[in-house]
Amino acid sequence: MSIFHAMNISGSGLTTQRLRMDVVASNIANAQSTRATVNENGEFEPYRRKMVVMEPQEKTFSSFLQKAQNRKALSGVTVSEIVEDDEPFKIVYNPNHPDADEQGYVQLPNVDPLQEMVDLMSATRSYEANITAFNASKGMLMKALEIGK
Amino acid sequence: MNLFGGTFRTLEQSLDYASLKNQVISNNISNVDTPNYKAKDIVFKDYLAKAASNLEAKRTHPKHIPFNSPRDNNYQLITKENTVFNHNGNNVDIDKEMANLAKNQIYYNALIDRMNGKFHSLQTVIRGGN
Repeated sequence: MSIFHAMNISGSGLTTQRLRMDVVASNIANAQSTRATVNENGEFEPYRRKMVVMEPQEKTFSSFLQKAQNRKALSGVTVSEIVEDDEPFKIVYNPNHPDADEQGYVQLPNVDPLQEMVDLMSATRSYEANITAFNASKGMLMKALEIGK
Repeated sequence: MNLFGGTFRTLEQSLDYASLKNQVISNNISNVDTPNYKAKDIVFKDYLAKAASNLEAKRTHPKHIPFNSPRDNNYQLITKENTVFNHNGNNVDIDKEMANLAKNQIYYNALIDRMNGKFHSLQTVIRGGN
């Protein structure tokens, strides 16, 4: 456990929240993408909304070492995986669209812009909270350097 | 009479406590969106546990190692398991954590200030008041 441990923890929070923002940006950018993947029948499938799954960073060497020493580990946060939303696609009637089916319906991505904006705000606020915690740790370290001056 | 007597040791242990508390709060803040994460906290052990840790075992040989460790910290890390604050099983109250962060920072700065004051007093004595 080094003196920079608290800063590393806040850093892991910053990384995670930034990745969340990246995923939200990707979802918003692809809100109209009808040709994201090709399914087994050779047909195009629309983009599926992505989500970030977070977990405490407990699979590192140092946290296993801490556990072996019967100490509770403080290890920050990490992204375990990015999953896809299984909600059905939006169906829009647009017979002139190149990806429309025989009845004239187009499948659009299951991205809800409102939901994405809320997620983006949540990520921004959490990012700011981590910045504040980082600055607090930094201020304490700088103050500790003044001992004996 | 010890030059770096009781006050320094007390301040030192308090600084230890404050910096560990800072780590715990940082950890809680970085896990504010983690599903099923439970907030951690540093608390002072109760007096019984503290008194028990100060009990000395009977030594039948002078080379036996004593059970108690005098530099044992009297605080410990706990996890708040039994509450739910958010909908995803997470119980980090971000407002509380930010307030504790600010409080802990001021506490730490005050400790450093006192330590410097103590060093300055010593310095004054060493210089004979000059």
